[in-house]
Amino acid sequence: MSEIRELTFSEAINEAYVEELKRDENVFLFGECIRAGTFPHTAGLVKEFGEKRVLDSPIAEANMAGYALGAAQQGLRPVVDFMYAGFSYYAATEIFLNTSSYYYVHGSQHPVPIVYVGTCGVGRRVGYEHATPVYGTAIHHPGLKVCMPSTPYDAKGLMKAAIRDNNPVFFLWHTTMVAHKGPVPVEEYIVPLGLADVKREGTDVTILTFGLQVSNALTVAETLKHEISVEVVDARSLEPFDMETLLKSVEKTTRLVIVDEDIERAGFAAEISALMMEQGYDLLDAPVKRVCHPNFPVPGGYIDAYTMPTPERIEDAVREVCR
Amino acid sequence: MALTKKQKNLLFTNLTRAMTLDRMMMRIIRAGRMTGFYHEGGISLAPGVAIGSFLRKEDSLIPHYRAHGIAEMLSKGVDIPSYVAEHMGRETGCCKGRSSYHWSYPEDNMYGSGANLGMPYGLNCGYAFAAAYKGTDLVSLCAFGDGAFQEGRAYEGLSMASAWKLPAIFWCNNNGIAQHTELSNVYPIEDLSRVAAALDIPTMIVDGQDLFACGEAALKSIAHARAGNGPFFVEAKYLRAQEHNVGGLNTSGDAPRSQQLMDEWKEQRDPLKLATQQLLDDGILTHEEIEKIQNDAEAEADEIEAFAEQSPKALPSIEEQLAAVYAPDTAVENK
Repeated sequence: MSEIRELTFSEAINEAYVEELKRDENVFLFGECIRAGTFPHTAGLVKEFGEKRVLDSPIAEANMAGYALGAAQQGLRPVVDFMYAGFSYYAATEIFLNTSSYYYVHGSQHPVPIVYVGTCGVGRRVGYEHATPVYGTAIHHPGLKVCMPSTPYDAKGLMKAAIRDNNPVFFLWHTTMVAHKGPVPVEEYIVPLGLADVKREGTDVTILTFGLQVSNALTVAETLKHEISVEVVDARSLEPFDMETLLKSVEKTTRLVIVDEDIERAGFAAEISALMMEQGYDLLDAPVKRVCHPNFPVPGGYIDAYTMPTPERIEDAVREVCR
Repeated sequence: MALTKKQKNLLFTNLTRAMTLDRMMMRIIRAGRMTGFYHEGGISLAPGVAIGSFLRKEDSLIPHYRAHGIAEMLSKGVDIPSYVAEHMGRETGCCKGRSSYHWSYPEDNMYGSGANLGMPYGLNCGYAFAAAYKGTDLVSLCAFGDGAFQEGRAYEGLSMASAWKLPAIFWCNNNGIAQHTELSNVYPIEDLSRVAAALDIPTMIVDGQDLFACGEAALKSIAHARAGNGPFFVEAKYLRAQEHNVGGLNTSGDAPRSQQLMDEWKEQRDPLKLATQQLLDDGILTHEEIEKIQNDAEAEADEIEAFAEQSPKALPSIEEQLAAVYAPDTAVENK
């Protein structure tokens, strides 16, 4: 039986980095202030692996992403850290057009393994530049993979999968969860991209979500346990998305609420709603319900506490589809 | 760095081939047989030939879009038939007919294009970084125009290459006009190499119509980077004597460019004519030898055109394309 410790998200990601840097000399980290990190997930790495493999980048996101593409084309495996994922919008051309399209457009001959790392998420009162999720934009661009963990266990396992993947992967983690703790085994493991995880079983309604909102969904499931049996499915990976697990869950519960912190319009929740209509319409006893950020820019100040999906909003949605 | 006779011969042969292929590409697009754009090379191909002729196969290269990099590519030894076939949307294209005008020659260290003009700088740094990371003496070179230099990414790439002393060569082909916009309307200085100099990168300015001067500049910049001295910036002042691309209005701002001036350039500043005269004057090649080089180039162009023309059009199924978006996932096997 393997030993299990409590690690923070930062510590879990740090362990993934250490293991992958040791395993493959082509892996290197490159990012904004990663030697003395704004977030502690890169703490100590430059001491252990040296400046050749752990580099602070200039604050030049577009060039960082172009540089990563070049290095990856040359056979290296860059991990590019934008600190806050919102900053990566400066590199939108490089990431969303050129890198995502590269493999397919150039005849599917030359893989470009890259991991983009950044935090995002609502709830820190910091406003749209730091908070706006980028995954809705990212999944719109074929060629990119996208994941966002809800636990330190998944964070470590997904990061290792992302580094070993032969495609560009956007690894997002939630800004408010940097120091959240959870159990992580000592022995090595991988969480493959494209596998959802049922975080709580139930029979009346499925909540599909990921990242921070998994804990809100679990809170709602616990609150309602004597009235409504809620199943919580953690997507973990948004592209590729594990539709099979979701369909299996909805086959049982016949109801679906999708919780997504992103702005509602044309986002992940919208995409999964459409897929559910196309592939699982006959399974449903009620229309799919979305709980997202309303269709205005992510504000700062005290407002974000109630514009993001909260347990109250999620509970209302669950009750609505179970009426 | 004076050129040997052999090097001059190589440059001349490659320029002859490049300009011949450029005329063939113009024939194809004018006949409506190309799927995308074409940006005529005309008398602007001496820098590309110089760059491609003196890089090693293992060195990375991002060519300039003028003549779609054919001058750089054929000089570096890249398989041109598959590139032409790509332009014609054929199955034998280097990108399987999916890209219109991109190249993909990983084995020649030419990985693909970005039509977004800011792309070369970051890529060039990435290639150069990888060369150093692996402990090789390889270099990377990117070529771009004065238009692409207006991108903020130019500054980002130059500063990174200089800060980290990357073996990266930045080759700027400056003709003072981006599509229809005069550089002087939108940029405060005329000599773009001054920006690189301000960032502590050694620079030189060269006459982009002078094939052998370009060759010397290429040798010098490549030797500098290969010796571990960090980046180098070459600014080739050169001429565009035709429209920006086929079908693009030939204007400068809102005024037509003077046809008379461009005709003069074609007569007096054509790099092939200038090089021919010099080789004859110096007794390096005879008229007969030059004619043979020209005939061989024509035969090569005809053969390439026929190859592309005879290749089937690429029309893969939707399913086939859906399966081609992601590289096989080896995460689990890599465990």
